Amino acid sequence: MIAPPPAEKLVEVERSRRPSVTFVPADASGVARIVIDRPDDPVNAIDVRMMEDFAAAIAAARAAAPRGLVIASGKKNQYVAGADLSLLRGGTSQSDIEKASRSMQRVLNDLAALPFVTVAAINGPALGGGLEIALACDTRIAADAPNVRVGLTETRLGLIPAAGGTQRLPRLIGLPRALDLILTARQLAPKRALRAGVIDEVVHPAVLLRAAIDHAGRDPKRKPRGGATVVERAATHFAPARAFALRQARSRTLAETKSRYPAPLAAINAVAIGLAKGMDAGLDVEARSFGDLAVGETGHSLTALVMLTLRQRKAALEGLGKPRPIANVGIVGLGFMGSGIAQVAAASGFRVRGRDRDAAAVAKGLSTIRTLTADAAKKGVFERREAARITERVTGGPDLVGFRSADLVIEAVFEDIATKRRVIAELEQVLRPEAVIASNTSALPIAEIAREARSPERIVGMHFFSPVHKMPLIEVIRPAGAAADAVATAVAAAIAMGKTAIVVGDGPGFYTTRVLSTMIGEAFTLLSEGDSIEAIDRAMTEFGWPVGPLQLVDEVGLEVAGHAGETVAKARGIAAPTIVNALVAEGFKGKHKGGGFYRYDGRRRTPNPRVRELLGAPTHPAAGDIAERLTLTFVNEAVRCLDEGVLRSPAEGDLGAVLGLGFPPFLGGPFRYADAQRHRIVTALERLAAARGDRLAPTESLRSRRPFFTL
Amino acid sequence: MPRVLILGGARTPFVRAGTEFADLDVLDLARAATSEALARTELDPGQVDEVIFGNVARPVAYHNLAREVVLSLSMPTRIPAFTVGLACASACVAITSAADHIAGGNADVVIAGGSESLTNVPLTLTPRLARGLIAASQAKSLPAKARSLADVRASDIAPVAPGIRETSTGLTMGESAERMAAMNAVSREDQDAWALRSHRLAAAGWDDGRLAREVGPVYLDGHAVTADNHIRRDSTPEKLASLRPVFDREHGTITAGNASPLTDGAAAVVLASEARARALGLEALAAVRSYAYAAVDPADQLLIAPAYAIPIALGRAGLTLDDIDLFEMHEAFAAQVLSTLAVLEQNGVGRVPVEKLNVMGGSIALGHPFGATGARIVLTLANEMRRRGARYGLATACAAGGNGAAIILERAA
Repeated sequence: MIAPPPAEKLVEVERSRRPSVTFVPADASGVARIVIDRPDDPVNAIDVRMMEDFAAAIAAARAAAPRGLVIASGKKNQYVAGADLSLLRGGTSQSDIEKASRSMQRVLNDLAALPFVTVAAINGPALGGGLEIALACDTRIAADAPNVRVGLTETRLGLIPAAGGTQRLPRLIGLPRALDLILTARQLAPKRALRAGVIDEVVHPAVLLRAAIDHAGRDPKRKPRGGATVVERAATHFAPARAFALRQARSRTLAETKSRYPAPLAAINAVAIGLAKGMDAGLDVEARSFGDLAVGETGHSLTALVMLTLRQRKAALEGLGKPRPIANVGIVGLGFMGSGIAQVAAASGFRVRGRDRDAAAVAKGLSTIRTLTADAAKKGVFERREAARITERVTGGPDLVGFRSADLVIEAVFEDIATKRRVIAELEQVLRPEAVIASNTSALPIAEIAREARSPERIVGMHFFSPVHKMPLIEVIRPAGAAADAVATAVAAAIAMGKTAIVVGDGPGFYTTRVLSTMIGEAFTLLSEGDSIEAIDRAMTEFGWPVGPLQLVDEVGLEVAGHAGETVAKARGIAAPTIVNALVAEGFKGKHKGGGFYRYDGRRRTPNPRVRELLGAPTHPAAGDIAERLTLTFVNEAVRCLDEGVLRSPAEGDLGAVLGLGFPPFLGGPFRYADAQRHRIVTALERLAAARGDRLAPTESLRSRRPFFTL
Repeated sequence: MPRVLILGGARTPFVRAGTEFADLDVLDLARAATSEALARTELDPGQVDEVIFGNVARPVAYHNLAREVVLSLSMPTRIPAFTVGLACASACVAITSAADHIAGGNADVVIAGGSESLTNVPLTLTPRLARGLIAASQAKSLPAKARSLADVRASDIAPVAPGIRETSTGLTMGESAERMAAMNAVSREDQDAWALRSHRLAAAGWDDGRLAREVGPVYLDGHAVTADNHIRRDSTPEKLASLRPVFDREHGTITAGNASPLTDGAAAVVLASEARARALGLEALAAVRSYAYAAVDPADQLLIAPAYAIPIALGRAGLTLDDIDLFEMHEAFAAQVLSTLAVLEQNGVGRVPVEKLNVMGGSIALGHPFGATGARIVLTLANEMRRRGARYGLATACAAGGNGAAIILERAA
């Protein structure tokens, strides 16, 4: 369910003029069609009106009694992308939402109960409710087109499927696979969906309708078996085997979500009850859970995040000038980050030319790119041929040959101003004037990097997160002297790479590194006050952070983290913590470099005793809510970034924090959290400031109680 | 008629077959050379009108190698491409075809090159085994399948390696070259001396960086191959003299040392019309002045045809042999090169000054990927002409079947 609400300039009268779903009587083949085509909506999002029209169309089909029925979309390259999310906005009551779910379940039950064969002809994304419609058919055919995806994506929004998905999918492909799809919210490309058993045939787009009609003319009514193999069917229908599979799924989910996210468990529950007690019981639980989750805070937060992410695809470019066309991307530095960036750029269709100091370094970088792409192909992200093509799109050399045709050059060299300035100088000898240079730095101000450049107006920052292929965020940094078109070009590149782009001001640590370093700095303070490494990290992961701050420092590397911390502290005029440099001096540089705050022995991780020795005796005994203090430090600093104009909007602040730094998604982001619990947060910060220092005092805008988000 | 310019190009390192490129195929090598050629000329692939590649040993999967290069490099799919064959002069045909298309106004930018991977030479089945397998695949029952293969004998099962034997004479190329040596009285000593010269000059060409400049690294498995690997810096007349003749064990003069080795590699050259080069602001290395192909009776002197192509090309250019400042001659065998020089003098075409010939060594030392050599000699010639400020250059290659190619380049500006 990931369809954004339709355009605001919609006129109510328009919508009432024609139905969203029409019944088309059978032609000579004896096969009739139901065509879904929601007016003024490019993606066929489901709303109450559509369900009503659908019910009417199904009734008409039943009366007409054709030989078979095809459920198709009337839109080019779009099937049904899920429910219209604006229906779930604050204000709709739980009982209304539950009622909507039940009515949609009823409509799809009617579809499934038709006495003749039904075939779904999937020509575009069939997600959430869209897939549930297809699951209620006997047969599903998909077009082999690049944008076709199927999946039950509701858990991403903190919800569960609400129209029978928790009941029909396990009965179709078996319990284990169905749980995997529902809990991961994965979107499958056609061939992968075919292998998983979700769809029955993949055809060329031009043949889709004809193939669907053929199937509708000759397929039998299907009784789903609950899996392709004996083992899968046993796991679905044989109670002891099913119980085992459910137990596994529940314990894995609990471990991952730490009971902050109720939706996955609710999904498992609806599946379990349906298989144990029958579909009606399962549907009942599904509808009730859906209503419950939809009005809960977590559901609201996750849905809001998804909507912000979708909106950001256009919103990121607002006020930024016109992006220049990009066909060729140059990457300077093919190390860990550079090769990751090159791989994502190539996977997005850009031609990539890499450069490193010598042929051996280039060879290593290209090898990394090949491995990343091959691994993704193994997981089914790409087909084998596409994977080969992606790898072949990247070439490289030990010099800047081939960079003259670059439209965008990303430098990912060593994090040092002198090195970066030298790279810029070399690039400027070779690049065309319209080419944009983007620096992948996590904390060095772009204005500093560009200080000696001949044309600094085309130099911006693109802060990628690691690992590049997984992390969805790119922080685009806009120096004061940058041309609006250059910034727009970087943002457009980020969007083309499938990432979410936020645009922030140029300053020490920009937004993400600044907020994170501040929080980590506060964690060091807690350490010196006497809290243990394990206590700090455990408190944070239990609160919902993916990784504790001290383990994070180990993984980022102590030198990088220390440098970022110093840059940010210096800018804020506070003393930089010394513990990191002290550890580095003793050879503790990070997880794969001798250990850091932890020592690593194979897969085991133990706190490094040297840390306590270096810090000396505790100053204040441990007391108070660690997670609260650190998370609120984060929030406070994020708000400062908005106040100072580093951030353009609270929306970008939430996106950056959640997508780039792992801020607990169930809170929706620092600004949404601040709005939801303003009073508690301000009181807590005031209390902390009094006890631990002025730096923790809430900002003026927090104290003002003015909400960050309106509506 | 539009003037045809050579904007630049690149080649992969040339390595002995079965060594460092053993896991690459002919497309991998062609792709490496082409992408490097594009990068070095700073040419946007969108500007390319055509791609033509030469290739001798054709794997079934890559029967049109040039088009596979376009598609696998994600060049615009509208670029037509075709693959040509004239044995060891295949890339010459690619280059002269490209020149003709540009001169005729039918293209503005063409990539022409060649590639060879002898490591995965296609093996064929014996006719009886092939027939048996096809019949078996079409048979409906197991007994019927078994019957289809009943005629196949043990001796049919060994695959047939493609021979380098002339169909019309039944002689291998080496045997033909022995005859040339005898007919032109080219001694063993002279051949070994030529081979030594090839290695010595090639080593010098690498050491002073000239050859390195036209070679782009090939990246595989996390490491880079950056240099030709056949050049022998430790070669001596004694070592060469100690080698046994391979084609005529009794009375022969041709050894592994004074013949070109089986090699994997690729090379690509970018040609453009003068107008397009100017419009793109790109400088050229050289221009194509004229070319000629000639052929002789394979039963006579199989590899002598360049000696006959040269005067035709010179005539078309309005030049004499003395006007040529620099020569690149493919060294299939030292015997063949020396024979060619003798015949040119005999026929009154002229004397090639040895100090202007193969100045950074030749195929004997650098290697000879069949389909690619024609592009290597043109690329090397153009680059060295630029360095020396030479006015005219001549590249020639002999080929199986009694064919020969000659291409004359002139200074660009």
